[in-house]
Amino acid sequence: MLKSLRRRTLAKVAGLSAGMMMVGMVPTQAQDVVIWGGFPELAGYYERVAESLSDKYPDLNVIVEPIGLRDHEKRVALGLSSGLEDATILELIGSTANRYIVNDLLKPAPDSVQDFVNDDANFEPFFQETATVGGSVYGVPVFRGQGALFYNTDMLAAAGLDGPPKTMEEYSDYASKLTQRDADGNPTVSGWSLRLSGGGGGIAEKFWINLHQFGGSLLDKVGDGYKAGYANEAGLATLRQYVNAVSGDKTVTVDMPADAAAFQREQTAMFIRESWVIGDTAKKAPDLNYKTTLLPRGSIALPVNLYVSGGTEEAQKAAWDFAIAANQPEHLIWMLDNVGWLPNRSGVDYASVTEAKPQFSAFVDLPDDYVFFTLPSIEPINEILTRFAARLVDAYADENLVGDDAAMMAVLEAAAEETNTILDRASILAK
Amino acid sequence: MQRRRKFWFAIAAILPTFLIFGWVRMYPIAETLRLSMFEWNLLSKNKLFVGFSNFRELFGDDQFLDALTNTAIIAFGAMAVTIPASMILAAVIYHRTKSRFAGFYETAVFIPHVVSLVPAAMAWKWIFDAKLGPLNAVIVGLGGEAQPWLFDPVLSVVCIIVLVSWQTLGYGVLIYLVGFRNLPKSVYEAAKLDGASGIQSFIFMSVPLLKPITLYVSVVTLISGFNVYAQAYVLASDTQGAPGRLVRVLVLDMLENSFQNFRVGYAAAEAVILLTVVLLLTIVQFGLLRQKGGK
Repeated sequence: MLKSLRRRTLAKVAGLSAGMMMVGMVPTQAQDVVIWGGFPELAGYYERVAESLSDKYPDLNVIVEPIGLRDHEKRVALGLSSGLEDATILELIGSTANRYIVNDLLKPAPDSVQDFVNDDANFEPFFQETATVGGSVYGVPVFRGQGALFYNTDMLAAAGLDGPPKTMEEYSDYASKLTQRDADGNPTVSGWSLRLSGGGGGIAEKFWINLHQFGGSLLDKVGDGYKAGYANEAGLATLRQYVNAVSGDKTVTVDMPADAAAFQREQTAMFIRESWVIGDTAKKAPDLNYKTTLLPRGSIALPVNLYVSGGTEEAQKAAWDFAIAANQPEHLIWMLDNVGWLPNRSGVDYASVTEAKPQFSAFVDLPDDYVFFTLPSIEPINEILTRFAARLVDAYADENLVGDDAAMMAVLEAAAEETNTILDRASILAK
Repeated sequence: MQRRRKFWFAIAAILPTFLIFGWVRMYPIAETLRLSMFEWNLLSKNKLFVGFSNFRELFGDDQFLDALTNTAIIAFGAMAVTIPASMILAAVIYHRTKSRFAGFYETAVFIPHVVSLVPAAMAWKWIFDAKLGPLNAVIVGLGGEAQPWLFDPVLSVVCIIVLVSWQTLGYGVLIYLVGFRNLPKSVYEAAKLDGASGIQSFIFMSVPLLKPITLYVSVVTLISGFNVYAQAYVLASDTQGAPGRLVRVLVLDMLENSFQNFRVGYAAAEAVILLTVVLLLTIVQFGLLRQKGGK
């Protein structure tokens, strides 16, 4: 009798526990849609898009969860490989998404989304291609990172410079004239802020932007493969310019304030960055007098697309509808005006924004011969950039390299050998 | 019969703990050991067995060797700072036990150990800032030259040692205080009668008598030093305007290889090497201190 009572009590406890566990496993809402982004400044944009869908989806609960880009990439890697419970919209650069697509961790978009993306009236072929793998569309293009030169007009005027630099030689010349120094000759305001330190592959990416102006490329595509493309004259010219700026002319030092924050505080006269700086500067330094200009040859273009994974069929449909709604002209104009990222959709009239903020002209009014490049969709791209970046940090800080082209070329050749080894390991080294 | 029943009862009682321990502690270690022999990109269903090739590649990888060297310097540097500093601080606090500020001293020293690491590291990033930091302001005020603390290859490692030591110091002090409170008073009274000064008592009596405590603190400090990650990450974080030199450490390298380069097997091989190094050093520490001080 006692045994039977114990068994029944045990069964009840076990049943209750199992029930509680099952409650925890049930999805929170049928139409919960989570947005994982790597650009926290876009949270307001997504919230606006969510509000606009309230009539069509009264029960739609959009949860916006943006974090820093590097952590976002790790989160996506873990999330997709272990499976996502809720329908999740993933903000990914096309080259990053490719590795998930080839491993079947992202599914093609529904037909209606494919039609929307493949419509030439909506997107140019460049953006369609970044969202397409093997003929199928996997994501919806939204915005892109694209560089231009930002320069402080007051500082240029004070240095007697009429307009912005047009060639890379002029960049160095301008940097010398714009650098402000203390009584000992140490720079207090850098003439041209360069990315010289920090983690990740950003240093190599910025080097690539400058290399592009000299006609070079970090990776050359040869047939179906790739090989390092910087151990040459273009690479040498790029590295020489960096080394001279840091240790030769000393127009910038590694420990000086850098990037957008330095520009907004008038601690640097020029720097190359994406269009988001315009929105950021409007908030943080509204009185700053500055303009933007095209880079000498062309710019990097990093298209960011929206992909969907996880959740019920119904929630996935809502998520894809969200991705299309995010491309509605009113939201894109708001994003350009308030955040500053460049929308990818064609046929939208952004004049109201570009007229009010002429700094956008260097991002949208582009000559026909302006050459874009993007990161190739290859698995080891991040490793290539990170390892090259580590070598560049050491080279930038090495005073002995000034004036020694042979030593600089040796640095580039050693780095190129490492890049080619990585490509070879991934079986994509060009023969 | 009853002995047997007791035996099985003990086994049944301890089994859940063993199972949980095995699942959450031993299985991940075993899985890491297994993965270190494979090439796997985290996303693919297939894992390619490569034997010891990940290990062979690691020992020719400059970035890994750099990370291993930096990590070892940080771990031993933090230990070299923490052990004497926490012992001296504990001695000072112990001999001020009767002071009404005794509780304050203990709390003040222990707080860094419980403070969240990221905001603390951000504060230190400001302290070390070459242009705006108070440390350089003091150095320049005293007639010295401002230093690029977060950018120089050597100084950036020193900054991490300082940050790690600052965090582990409180824990060391707490453990040493327990040690001081358990030392036999009669020995000190005898020494005092023999004319030993306070400093002599500390050097010739407290230090040898506290060797078991020193063993424990050194093992804990060394292990936490080898696991350094967030300090290096935050001090070189890409915050707009003021990044710093990235001091490559083992855990950072592992994370980068796993989740950014998608080389899980390679990262697992790094983890195995870290485990081996820490294990060997712990054995050596136990051996050294037991041999001389454990009698």
